[in-house]
Amino acid sequence: MAITAPLSTGTAAEVVRRRLEGGGPDVSGWMFRLSLLGALSFSILVLGILLVDVFTGGWSVLSSRLGDFLSGTLRSQAADAGIFQGLRGSFWIGVFVVVLAFPLGVGAAVYLEEYASDNRLTRFININIRNLAGVPSIVYGILGLAIFVKSLGDFTGGRSVIAGGVTLAILSLPIIIITSAEAIRAVPNGLREAGFGVGSTRWEVIRHHVLPYAAPGILTGSVLSLARALGEAAPLILVGAVTGRLGSSEGLFDVGALDERFTAMPNIITFWAGLPDPDFRALTAAAIAVMLVFVVLANSGAILLRNHFDKKR
Amino acid sequence: MPAHPLRAGFSAELEQLRLQVELMAVRVDQNLERMREVLSSGDSSLADRALNADDDIDDMNVSLTERCYDLLRREAPVASDLRFVVSVLRVLGELERVGDLALRVVKLAPHHAAMASNPPTYDILAAMADESVERYRSALRAWATMDLAAATDLATVSRSMDLFYERLMFELLRLEGPDAVRIAIVTFAAGRSLERIGDHAAIIGARLRYLITGDPNHLVAEVQ
Amino acid sequence: MPETKTTQDVTETVDESVDLTPTVRDRPQDTGPAVFDVTDLSVYYGAFRAVRNVDMKVREHEVTAFIGPSGCGKTTMLRCFNRMNDLIDIARVEGLITYHGVDLYDQAVNPVEVRRRIGMVFQKPNPFPKSIFDNVAYGPRIAGAKGDMSEIVERSLQRAALWDEVKDRLRASAMGLSGGQQQRLCIARAIACDPEVILMDEPCSALDPIATGRIEDLMNEIKSDYTIVIVTHNMQQAARISDRCAFFTAEVNETSDTRTGVLVEYDRTETIFSNPADARTENYVTGRFG
Repeated sequence: MAITAPLSTGTAAEVVRRRLEGGGPDVSGWMFRLSLLGALSFSILVLGILLVDVFTGGWSVLSSRLGDFLSGTLRSQAADAGIFQGLRGSFWIGVFVVVLAFPLGVGAAVYLEEYASDNRLTRFININIRNLAGVPSIVYGILGLAIFVKSLGDFTGGRSVIAGGVTLAILSLPIIIITSAEAIRAVPNGLREAGFGVGSTRWEVIRHHVLPYAAPGILTGSVLSLARALGEAAPLILVGAVTGRLGSSEGLFDVGALDERFTAMPNIITFWAGLPDPDFRALTAAAIAVMLVFVVLANSGAILLRNHFDKKR
Repeated sequence: MPAHPLRAGFSAELEQLRLQVELMAVRVDQNLERMREVLSSGDSSLADRALNADDDIDDMNVSLTERCYDLLRREAPVASDLRFVVSVLRVLGELERVGDLALRVVKLAPHHAAMASNPPTYDILAAMADESVERYRSALRAWATMDLAAATDLATVSRSMDLFYERLMFELLRLEGPDAVRIAIVTFAAGRSLERIGDHAAIIGARLRYLITGDPNHLVAEVQ
Repeated sequence: MPETKTTQDVTETVDESVDLTPTVRDRPQDTGPAVFDVTDLSVYYGAFRAVRNVDMKVREHEVTAFIGPSGCGKTTMLRCFNRMNDLIDIARVEGLITYHGVDLYDQAVNPVEVRRRIGMVFQKPNPFPKSIFDNVAYGPRIAGAKGDMSEIVERSLQRAALWDEVKDRLRASAMGLSGGQQQRLCIARAIACDPEVILMDEPCSALDPIATGRIEDLMNEIKSDYTIVIVTHNMQQAARISDRCAFFTAEVNETSDTRTGVLVEYDRTETIFSNPADARTENYVTGRFG
């Protein structure tokens, strides 16, 4: 018997019950839980305040002339200004990031995890990629200015969407590589062995087993990267995003305009936010609201894709 | 053996079993001694004691056999452990039969006078009794010490037993007189049992050789 | 009452309980052609020698079991037969393994082709996260088989004793099967490639006794068509299903404080479990050392 109290059998059950029920409330546990809840609430609160502020601030524009707002161009008059050129610039930058950074990044991750042997060179490369992910984005701007605007100006058209898109693609690359590499590393080795065991080549194992399994993680990382790239203003400023004197007649998918002067959403927002005219407050808020909507749409798309691959697991 | 052998409980059980078999063999030996006494004196009280002792021997046989089955079931022995348990089972059988053979001679006590009345055959009987008990004791010693050399010796043909047996038959066939048939039957029965005690001792030796060497040629022991 | 008779002839008592089939001992030691011939094989991981100086022949249509305590190179040895050790950068093989006379580690030999002929089943069942059908059809498909795989799939699942349980849900995900079923699926997957040899690395260690029994029955049924090499920790299993046993143990290297596996004894299973030649084998199979 574990109970040492020399009581008669009548009260033994009582003692047991007291011991099982006793101990008092777990104060520190509750405190910890409350503080975690507090942290979560604070974050949600801040986000909520931001959203409310933005949407109420831009409501006047969004409700009255949403169509004009989306299709209008930059004007000095607040009442006529629109964000179309910003949307177009951001759209094409997004395209460049997806088309360039995604395949390059995933490919590099696959090589590093599946093909490269674990030697000093590989480890050196990995460390450097991690460092690059932490480099301030303005540095990428300088890189973009030096190479894509100046040196390769003939191909890119100088200060153009091409230069901006490629610069931001390079900016996204380290994060895509790191998150994809993590996702690939998380693939259980048993799956690879099973593939090899039935006589697959390394490439078949990667294509049929590793990548499908790692797809959710890779997609998450890529979307995060894309979202970051779309929000960057500083490198674009260096690479030449302008906020005036832009051509206005090109459509969204007009590829010919890619090598001409451009702008992007973050730049427009930054510009409008700094204007003294109080009318531009509402415009700024409206622009931010639109950008948030698109970010949410992009994320949702990625989540849908991820769930699709998750089911297949 | 390695520094810290595992299955210490199992090893201890095997050793226990070996000692118990030795104990049973000693009981059989005591009954063989009583048999010799009865053969020389015809003492019927000894005969009763031998009968009781044989019951104990039978009980031991049953309990040790059950213990062997239990070990087989529980411990799934292999290699030398398996050879040991199997050998024990078969040695138990041999011991039990030796005991029964001794009892048979003891049960001839009422006819002691008849056997003793014909000295030529009676002396041969006594010699055969000594010889068979001696062989049995060699087997007992070999088991106690797990001695391969001693076990091998047991397998060698013992001409002396055969000679005794031939002489006995010769003498019995020459027997004449009113009691000749009775004497012949009783003496023959005793002689046969004594001869077979010696054979069983040889078989025990063969079982022991299999246990020690693992050579299955010794499993099928045929007495030459 | 004791069960033995008392009035028996001596010669009768000798063999009434002996049921020894004499042919066991009379069978010649070297039956069947050798599928693998291993000569002085050592496997290194970098500078560390995992297994040393192994000499053995694996014979056709036999089940060969590798037994021994943990960490003595049994799995390393097994993975040499289908070049799975290639997947580890620092693994290196010295010595010779031939498969039907061909050096497995020759430069000209393609490991993918090797693995198609020498299949493997792993310790933890690892079906692909696909349907049952696709799992089994995968091997033949990448080997170039075209068209309808239904026949191959059915045949493989039949041989793996899984067909009856899954024939109505071939398109369901393999991950929904129980552990034992998943392992039989992995066996079916290996069989579908029509290999000559099947290597099994402790295939039953993650399974319950009933699933284990099913797989052992399966091994008995298919061994006439394949050559099987199995690594197992379960000695009763090795005694039950294998024809030959190779006992490995680990030697401690004093200087580097590492253990190197070494083949101690390789013989017919009856011998290993009734009268092994080496004291170390005896100690291991009787459980005195492990």
